[in-house]
Amino acid sequence: MIRYGARTLFRKEVRRFLRVFGQTLLTPVVTTALYLVVFGWALGGRLRVMDGVPYLAFITPGLVMLAVITNAFANASSSMFMSKLQGTVVDLLVSPLRHGEIVFAMVGASTLRALLVGAATWAVALLFLGGVSVAHPLLAIAFPLLTAIGMGAVGLLTGVWAEKFEHVNLVPTFVITPLTFLGGVFYDVGQLPGVFSAFSRLNPILYVVEGMRHALLGVSSVSPALALLGLAVFDLVTVGACIGVFRSGWKLRS
Amino acid sequence: MPQSLSRVSVGPDRPVVELRGLSKRYGDLQALHDVSLEIRPGEIFGLLGPNGAGKSTLIGCITGLVVPTSGSASVLGWDVGREYDKTRQVVGLVPQEVNYDPFFTVEETLRYQAGYFGVRLEEEKLVEILRALDLLSKRKAGTRTLSGGMKRRLLIAKALVHDPKVLFLDEPTAGVDVELRRDLWAYVERLRQRGTTIVLTTHYLEEAEALSDRIGLIDQGRLLLVEEKETLLSTLGRKTLVLHLAERIEVLPSGLVAAGAEIVDDGWEIRIRRPAGEEFGPLLSAAANAGLAIRDVDTRRSTLEEIYVELLEKR
Repeated sequence: MIRYGARTLFRKEVRRFLRVFGQTLLTPVVTTALYLVVFGWALGGRLRVMDGVPYLAFITPGLVMLAVITNAFANASSSMFMSKLQGTVVDLLVSPLRHGEIVFAMVGASTLRALLVGAATWAVALLFLGGVSVAHPLLAIAFPLLTAIGMGAVGLLTGVWAEKFEHVNLVPTFVITPLTFLGGVFYDVGQLPGVFSAFSRLNPILYVVEGMRHALLGVSSVSPALALLGLAVFDLVTVGACIGVFRSGWKLRS
Repeated sequence: MPQSLSRVSVGPDRPVVELRGLSKRYGDLQALHDVSLEIRPGEIFGLLGPNGAGKSTLIGCITGLVVPTSGSASVLGWDVGREYDKTRQVVGLVPQEVNYDPFFTVEETLRYQAGYFGVRLEEEKLVEILRALDLLSKRKAGTRTLSGGMKRRLLIAKALVHDPKVLFLDEPTAGVDVELRRDLWAYVERLRQRGTTIVLTTHYLEEAEALSDRIGLIDQGRLLLVEEKETLLSTLGRKTLVLHLAERIEVLPSGLVAAGAEIVDDGWEIRIRRPAGEEFGPLLSAAANAGLAIRDVDTRRSTLEEIYVELLEKR
């Protein structure tokens, strides 16, 4: 059973991002809509079909996952970093909230934001696609959900670690964005020359993008089961690391 | 409040807070050195010491902000490390640094804070706290719009929402005006009357003297003394008697010389300093018997501040 204290922190974290919904929900959707317009509509006119589906439909799963990944990370990392900067993290540290409860509430709120932005991105894409078709509905929920949990946990760890704004931006700039753009959001890695294709398969983001592509379109260049298993392990490791960090007090308690 | 906590009873002899050989080291700096201390139920304990003495570190070890290097700390018999969810349920902290979340109003801040402790803040309780800290008119105001003094009031309000049994006030009146300081003193006194145990650190020695039942003096991480305030003032303090004379003198009467009297103000005053426990009656009689024309008499006791300075200088 989730205790009242954990539910309170979750509600507070949700209220926090809803208070600035223009920044936290609207902006990411507009950004993704621009990707759809530029890559899907303008350039897609030349590409026509990828893996047997229209290019606009082909890039939609990747764009949904791009939104999920970046928003889950951004919410948890900025919330934790700002609470350290403002000193309000003290309120959590002296409270009887258990370590797992803090992680649950903060990662949970980040997951909710990521899923809202992901759903809104998909809804915008549907306007361009002109119809709804989901090949595997349960997987279409499972992939964004598990991805958001893991990336929320990575964001929380980054927020705990960061000592200045620059640190918070390091991970998205040098890790998440490059891996996402090279993770098959806009192209089929199977069509890359041999060595590049093999190299791409070392990119973990590829598996969540392809997993979501399988869920929405029924086509994928990787095994969806393998992707799901990998995500589950990723979540266990990152959430476990968060609980370990709160238990040890690393960067939080002196 | 969790069920397990409702069974807690604090006997008159059982310390509310118990520290045993508590030490904290930061690299080469020994911030706390083998501190042992017991805080009694219902008392106001004044923890005094210069900047960097270890006051906040000591409080941090009990409230969960600092992980001790060695030793133990317990609240109501629960270990602050192993049973942190129980000890923090009964502890309130007003930290030294002002903090606020600019996304929320005063009321939201207090409701969320209570929620962390598993408490649904009743309207009556909310109003009582807001009124006591003169924040009622700011109930719906965003925290970022509050003045510095009001932010500090909010900090104190946050520490009270879960009715802590032990309240730690770490420099609660730093940078606030005299009016708020007096209001806070009155509220602290009310809390004590309700049975809340209070540990207070302050730079205002007047504040510690006005509020504290016992005083602890800490310097360079070592607890130098713990004493009842009245005992401290009477054993380590001094009383000063000043005799204002109607006629100027040049030589002290012999009865006053033995008491360490001195002539001041060019012969118009006699000043005698004695331990605070002594009475001035015999000295006044000696002065009258010596035929001194006494115009007026002043007496004054050492303040805690003078004793504090003297103790630190002796180190």
